[in-house]
Amino acid sequence: MFSKILIANRGEIAVRIIRACKEMGVATVAVYSEADRKALHVALADESYCIGGPEASESYLQENRIISTALLAGAQAIHPGYGFLSENAHFARACRRNGLVFIGPDPESMERFGDKAILKEIIRGTGLSVIPGTKAVLSLNEATQAAERIGYPVMLKACAGGGGRGIRLVRSKDELEDAYLQASGEALSAFGDGSLYLEKYIFPARHVELQILADEYGNAVCLGDRDCSLQRRNQKLLEETPSPAVSTEQRKRIIELAVDAVKKIGYVGAGTLEFLLDREGNFWFMEMNVRLQVEHCVTEMLTGIDLVKWQIRIAAGIPLNFTQEDVMMKGSAIECRINAKSCGTLKMLHVPGGLSVRFDTCLIDGSTVSPYYDPLLGKLIVSGNDREETLRKMRVSLCELVIDGIPTNIEEQLRIVDDERFTAGNYDLTFMGSR
Amino acid sequence: MALFNFLRPKNKLEEGGRSSAPVQQDAGEPEENCPNCHKDIPLSRLWANNLVCSCGYHFRMKARQRIQTITDKGSFHEMYPRMKSGNPLNFPGYKEKIGTVRVASGEEEAVVCGTASIGRQRCCLFVMEPGFMMGSMGSAVGEKITLLFEYAVEHRLPVVGFTVSGGARMQEGLLSLMQMAKTSAAVKRHSDAGLLYTAVLTDPTTGGVTASFAMEADIILAEPGATIGFAGARVIKQTTKKALPEGFQTAETVMEHGFADSIVPRSGQKRFLAELIKMHNWRAII
Repeated sequence: MFSKILIANRGEIAVRIIRACKEMGVATVAVYSEADRKALHVALADESYCIGGPEASESYLQENRIISTALLAGAQAIHPGYGFLSENAHFARACRRNGLVFIGPDPESMERFGDKAILKEIIRGTGLSVIPGTKAVLSLNEATQAAERIGYPVMLKACAGGGGRGIRLVRSKDELEDAYLQASGEALSAFGDGSLYLEKYIFPARHVELQILADEYGNAVCLGDRDCSLQRRNQKLLEETPSPAVSTEQRKRIIELAVDAVKKIGYVGAGTLEFLLDREGNFWFMEMNVRLQVEHCVTEMLTGIDLVKWQIRIAAGIPLNFTQEDVMMKGSAIECRINAKSCGTLKMLHVPGGLSVRFDTCLIDGSTVSPYYDPLLGKLIVSGNDREETLRKMRVSLCELVIDGIPTNIEEQLRIVDDERFTAGNYDLTFMGSR
Repeated sequence: MALFNFLRPKNKLEEGGRSSAPVQQDAGEPEENCPNCHKDIPLSRLWANNLVCSCGYHFRMKARQRIQTITDKGSFHEMYPRMKSGNPLNFPGYKEKIGTVRVASGEEEAVVCGTASIGRQRCCLFVMEPGFMMGSMGSAVGEKITLLFEYAVEHRLPVVGFTVSGGARMQEGLLSLMQMAKTSAAVKRHSDAGLLYTAVLTDPTTGGVTASFAMEADIILAEPGATIGFAGARVIKQTTKKALPEGFQTAETVMEHGFADSIVPRSGQKRFLAELIKMHNWRAII
């Protein structure tokens, strides 16, 4: 096992990874920006180094500074968390060149699976259904022809996309030109690659994803599904497992197919297969995330399997010590993302407690929300024997959670879990738009 | 820095798996074959690990690189950089050979001397250069080391020396053999002044250097697997016509027989030396 790991991230995920390392007896190295001097992850790590200015491009995205810090501190591995450098093949390759382990897939896999158009071609050969669509379209003209072939409405998506950027819904031919130019421009500025592809717009649909763990010895397991249909502008707000829209039979079938697919494509590490689930119960493969997800905690609460620890073990070449049959998926778990609505300084924090209540946060006394980073303050996750118990527990916990001094979305989350359609499990991707 | 200090849990490190990155590289990157495990290691990886293979084999290290890894940043001040040997015996081809070696190694002589700080402990330091006629001791090497010890006595400084040598330089004949006596006398005067001399024997330390200042240190350390001896193994075998025991002339055998005090891997040398100097600091004792 590695004796020292550098965590190339901030916020609640850096704290989450440091905790896992501490449990494993691994020393931790934190890096931080000038804006994060007083952050929790800085205080928790065994060693902490400031690597630059408050803008992410001056610090958390500075590949060379992070690698130099790891080498000087004597770390053997780097955990990128999610966001920042977690899906950056160039960084993973630089780590490898410097004799450091990048905790995640190898750069070649990252490149293969990071390009959505290529990934779909790969997945098409594994038995999973892929949304009808195109490879990268090179011009507006080509896009128009392809859209007519697939049939409107269609989605325009960035080949290198993620996080909901570079995506446009096109309902008719008239909208295509504007949408094409906007999405291409957005993709170019966000990912440095303006190429787009088209796919059939599945409507109404739910966003259901499967959590995968695979080691380098060819073992792969699926740790169940997550329903992430509650989104606003393609940003997830609330996630639950198991999805109330998937029957036990359906789940068993899709898990078998997904595990099979992951083994066939030879993926190693923690990953997520994202699907759109239509009204007829068909799973349409969308994309694969080759990193830890924000919402990984609901899976952990349901299965009792620590995903971060397993990411580290897999990176150290330790084989999975459980099989698909050993994965317990009993009960239910829900996560509410607690976001800051604007900047502020924490005056008082009260965290709910009790059996199966977890609040993963980076907040401590005096924490300041700066405009430089993601507004995620923490994740409230609860689990229970069934969905009803979990919902009750979530309401109690949300009411008890106090983050004084920073405007948050706690009340909005309460309204969601009180919504009849949500409590009945009857919701899809349009839910937030319809409220 | 952080506002507060959390208590540190004392969890033992989980067992199993790799403790560092498996050897991987970019296409076309040059490699070096490890004589111990016979694996090819990408150069960037080897350099990042101070020229130590993952199997523990210590590759030979150039004097300047060693100084950089062992001393505190910017603390090394070189002494006698321009002192070099002539050709006192007019040995045929010596002048040309030494000219080529100077260009190839980038050094004027087979030892680099100076003052430095190791872990904030001031000392005099000499490091021999394996790339310069395998660190052979000519009159300039002996003179530089002698002068360094005399400087150390004058300024009451401990001496740390990294030795790597094939022995006395045959092209300088008796003059290079005389360096054994001269350096030994300087070491003795340094010792009589109550000052600490620590030698680190690296691969290979043989011949006249072993028979003089390398083995005269108060504390003798060695790098793992280093060849340490007087006459070469092949010469002994040919002369005695007997098979040599396993591990003959290795640092481990030398330590087993009491001729070295400890074997210190490269990764721990700086800390080890700093602690030794600190413990023997006469100012601290007074």
